[in-house]
Amino acid sequence: MDSKPTSFATTGRSRKGEPFVWLTAAGLTMGVVLTLGLLGLVVTKGIQTFWPDRIQVFEIDTGAGTEKVAGYVVQERERRDPQGVDHEEIQIFRGNRELFGEKFAFFDRASIRSQEIPEDILLVERMEGGHVIARAGKILRADGTEVPANDPGFATSLDELIEKTDTKREELRRIEKIEIGRNAREVKELRSLERFEGSTPETQARLATLNEEFLKLDAERNLVRQALAGDVLLLDAVDGREIRIEAGELLHIFRPNQAGVIGRTGEMLRRVWHFLASDPREANTEGGVYPAIFGTVVMTLVMSLFVTPFGVVAAIYLREYAKQGPLVRAVRISVNNLAGVPSIVFGVFGLAFFIYFLGGVVDSWFFPRSEEPVFKSGGVLWASLTLALLTVPVVIVATEEALAAVPRGVREAALACGASKWQAIQRVVLPASLPGILTGVILAMARGAGEVAPLMLVGVVKSAPDLPIDGEAPFIHAERQFMHLGFHIYDLGFQSPDSEAAKPMVFATTLLLITIVVVMNLAAIIIRNRLRKKYATSSF
Amino acid sequence: MSIPPQQAPDPKRFEVSKGTLLFDRLMTQVIRCGGIAVILAVFGIFLFIVKEIVPLFSGAEVRPGEVREQTGERPQVLGVDEWGERPFLYSGRDRITFISATDGQREEVEIPGLKDKVITATAYDPVNRRVALGLDDGSVGSFIVAYQTEFADDGSRTVKPEITLEPWFQVSVGEGAVKALAYGDGGAARVLVVAREKGLAVLRLAQKRALVGKPKLALAGTDDLTSQVNSEILGVAASQNGQAVLVADASGEVRYFQSDAGKVSLIEVFRPFGEEPPVRMDFLFGGVSVAMTRQGGEQKIFSLFRPEGSEIRVFGETKSFDPLGSGTPVFAPNLRNKSFLTGAGGRLTLRHLTSGATRWEGEAPFEPVLATFDGKSEHFFIAAEDGRIQGYRLDDPHPEAGWRAFFGKVWYEGGSGPVYQWQSTGGTDDFEPKLSLIPLIVGSLKGTFYALMFSVPIALLAAIFSASFLPHDMKRVVKPAMEIMASLPSVVLGFLAGIWLAPMVEDKVPSILLLCLSLPVSALLVGVLWCRLPMKSRRLFEGGREWLLLLPVLGVVAMVAWSLGPLLEKALFVYRDPGGREIADFRLWWPQATGLPFDQRNSMVVGFMMGFAVIPVIFTIAEDSLSNVPKTLTAAAAALGASRWQVVRSIIIPVASPGIFSALMIGFGRAVGETMIVVMATGNTPVTSWNIFSGMRTLSANIAVELPEAAPGSTHYRTLFLGALVLFMLTFTLNSMAEILRQRLREKNKIV
Repeated sequence: MDSKPTSFATTGRSRKGEPFVWLTAAGLTMGVVLTLGLLGLVVTKGIQTFWPDRIQVFEIDTGAGTEKVAGYVVQERERRDPQGVDHEEIQIFRGNRELFGEKFAFFDRASIRSQEIPEDILLVERMEGGHVIARAGKILRADGTEVPANDPGFATSLDELIEKTDTKREELRRIEKIEIGRNAREVKELRSLERFEGSTPETQARLATLNEEFLKLDAERNLVRQALAGDVLLLDAVDGREIRIEAGELLHIFRPNQAGVIGRTGEMLRRVWHFLASDPREANTEGGVYPAIFGTVVMTLVMSLFVTPFGVVAAIYLREYAKQGPLVRAVRISVNNLAGVPSIVFGVFGLAFFIYFLGGVVDSWFFPRSEEPVFKSGGVLWASLTLALLTVPVVIVATEEALAAVPRGVREAALACGASKWQAIQRVVLPASLPGILTGVILAMARGAGEVAPLMLVGVVKSAPDLPIDGEAPFIHAERQFMHLGFHIYDLGFQSPDSEAAKPMVFATTLLLITIVVVMNLAAIIIRNRLRKKYATSSF
Repeated sequence: MSIPPQQAPDPKRFEVSKGTLLFDRLMTQVIRCGGIAVILAVFGIFLFIVKEIVPLFSGAEVRPGEVREQTGERPQVLGVDEWGERPFLYSGRDRITFISATDGQREEVEIPGLKDKVITATAYDPVNRRVALGLDDGSVGSFIVAYQTEFADDGSRTVKPEITLEPWFQVSVGEGAVKALAYGDGGAARVLVVAREKGLAVLRLAQKRALVGKPKLALAGTDDLTSQVNSEILGVAASQNGQAVLVADASGEVRYFQSDAGKVSLIEVFRPFGEEPPVRMDFLFGGVSVAMTRQGGEQKIFSLFRPEGSEIRVFGETKSFDPLGSGTPVFAPNLRNKSFLTGAGGRLTLRHLTSGATRWEGEAPFEPVLATFDGKSEHFFIAAEDGRIQGYRLDDPHPEAGWRAFFGKVWYEGGSGPVYQWQSTGGTDDFEPKLSLIPLIVGSLKGTFYALMFSVPIALLAAIFSASFLPHDMKRVVKPAMEIMASLPSVVLGFLAGIWLAPMVEDKVPSILLLCLSLPVSALLVGVLWCRLPMKSRRLFEGGREWLLLLPVLGVVAMVAWSLGPLLEKALFVYRDPGGREIADFRLWWPQATGLPFDQRNSMVVGFMMGFAVIPVIFTIAEDSLSNVPKTLTAAAAALGASRWQVVRSIIIPVASPGIFSALMIGFGRAVGETMIVVMATGNTPVTSWNIFSGMRTLSANIAVELPEAAPGSTHYRTLFLGALVLFMLTFTLNSMAEILRQRLREKNKIV
């Protein structure tokens, strides 16, 4: 021991071990920086995908002369070639797939001769083939007239053209999806009826009328298609080649280099809306994620419908009714631990029990005639049930905590006033613990919304033709497969043939999913903090 | 003052309405039943998964049928249709006997064109049901027993036999009667191995397509192998595909000839039992392995494999089985999988090649001389010397399963030694599934290990700082932020790992090494320097705000370390290519220096991103237990003059250590079961190496990738369930232990 007495001034601020304190501080710093960095990365990358960049025209030295390329810079990187020499490269989105094949290209910084931002470049969105970046050429109308780009009426006729195709396309969609779809469904039902019960004059007559109706609809559809087909927009790419777009393909035209901040913000909002509200196109790499949002929401809501009552009942039983002893304690620990069991294990169970076992039973009872499995394949119902099992421990634990936090005094007061046990629980304990239960349910929903691994086994698909809830009777189609934001990310990022083209969509979807999950968690945390404040005085 | 007279309370005041009581009782029952049901349902998961894997570990079920009467002649061939309904016996004459397995009725059918021929040798190929015949004049031929299956309207079926004679060929080599023969049918190219009294020949037959009519079988060539065998030939065998020919002679040697591209060449001579010749040589399903049985019943399996550094496949002993006992050995390969029926002297065993397991053992009512399987592997039949036959119903859905197959080293066909391997599906019918869970378990542990390497230091340091030094108002922000990080969907982390992080850090390994070293060191250095500062300036940041000061410092250090990475690479990690050129590239250097591969999507990336998922878990639990250390203890230590670090080191950490340990266990559990990050950030190759720069396949990723394609009820499907059960047990046990530790700690702290 040090015999020299230490001065009182250093007590509490002794230097002993101070560097280690700083080491622990570094741990916290890194933890916080990593968390915020990750969130920041997703947010910036996500927002970037919506923000319209200026389009630049690069003159590039190809070795055998120069070549003009129009597009915007996606990323810069350093690449080391096999000789060990470093190159600074930029990746340019240049669109125009029919001209280049690849929508993205890398160019060596050293090979760029000049770059400029010309005013008159158009960014054209179309149904198929991705974006086109080019100068306006002329409009060729179906009636043989043409409007050149330097004509003063060019802009208005272009707008008219787009508006016209929009309405026609909507009409086409209505005919194809709704009317022909309904027709086809009825034909299928009748055919199946005929197969099992033999064909009768009535069914034959009905089939004949349906066929007639179909022919009429088909003719109508062809008419609309013809109306869409007539007009053509000609564009000039910067390297002089011509791009021809049928009016029926046109979706949207934007002049990124003319628009100011407001114009570009407007365009960004339009893109966000388009992303949220429209169906995916081009193997999910373009368009929106509406069906995935819808699927995620429906699945999560159905899940919470199952998980809330079951979780709450189990928690009330454990806390209020069961005889507290080693057995209940063991059960409580086990339930708690189920929350830590890997989600894929629940997926495995869901596949075997819900789909193959329960689904098989349901099919053999209610759909013995169906050729393809109805409930014996993945669907919204089974996915929700699987996730309900996965998240029920979360709700049980949260509810139990909330029940335990209700002060003894309140409970005893209720009993003293002559309430029965159930009355005390129903009128006093449950209302008091409602915020806690809500927290548990929100946490469970957040976990359910972000979970992907078990869903891959029980009903999520990359592209579902129909939504699980729609206008067709019986309106809720619990057996239908569905799309999910999390799976959308997985599928786009790892299963899509052109992963480079899919990247913006993945980042946008990631941002959306993270926003949903974080908002739900924040809500749960805030509610929990309120709850703590409310009972802070009485519980400790 | 007058006290009002005590009124007896109205007795009704204490009465509760019947309805309330009834409802109360009802709700009690409802909640009790509901609660118990939910809890049971949750635990039912475990039972259901167990139920799915139990069949994997049960042996074969065999039910004997009735013994059918004798034919009186010693049978040479026993065959059966694919439904196991009409077995036949052939004893080397011009007729063949069909016996109904259901009612024992016999039917003799004449084989056309065999009237005056003397048959001296027969061979049987159960896959095509072809009986090959050798005559006393040295000519060979064959006939096929085909069955026409007809389905009646009510679903019942009738099986009608049909015999097709194939062309005869005269063997031009050697002299005397045919002693032994074997037929290898590889479709277009076939071989007929013929051993005569003197001479050995391989007839190459070719199926020629004719423009009109059926394809014609013609002799493509005859190879004379007489000079290559020294002593008397005892037996010949040909593999299913007609590529391997085995000849056993009296000296105990077995010669392996390969028939390939129109020529037959000797590859290998080996002695399975030393001086003693084998009495049986039987190819197993797939034609890669052959079972050698010697008099006395010793049985060895030889499989084709490529020795290291060699291009030619040779036979090598891969397994040996217990002796069968005395008596004539019988043998029948299963036509669906790698199991086989064998036995001697009335005792029968069903064995499996890959796992080396005995699936079933039983006693036959007579001493069998012949045995055969049906094409669906649902029945097998045995025949006695006097022509009695007996059928057995076989139910063995998972012959390749077993403890050894899942957890032991297995010598698979074609391999050069016993290995742990996972390869569940293959391109061909005779593919041998390799179902060892060991590579997957190693993969899971590997990913977890690297994740914990990264996350444990950060999470624990942060937890210590947050619990011991961080001011309360900051804690209120930091803790929820960490909780939100815990809720980030793993698919997002996996996507970032695979698409963003993996390409970014691929060529930055030296920078990352520098970062890992420089960050903690610089934090310690800042601490040392800070203590040297005068108290006045120290006061500005004291009391838990140190981490804010570290933010810019660590930022600068990180940037410097990041940009110094290439310099480190140039100094240390220089790859020398075959031309002698030097390239500073870690990606090339690593395989050269260690002999291990470098993948873009590797364990480092997985470890980093999975670390992200684990940090908040460990942080939250460790922080809880650290902050719950009773204030009396820490205050006492501080009062005795301990510095704040001394308090942490000697009081807080020891007291909270069970809590910290349980945090680590729960973090481990989370990392072991993580699925999406691993699926997306690794190459998903099942390997058993701990190399940080290669990928892996974990149990959970394996389930996610393979289960959607697995047929329900198949061995593959159930094995994936076994993987899920392993995961379940592992995490559940770990979490339970952690929970118990934590509860003990809580009680201990209460007493203090």
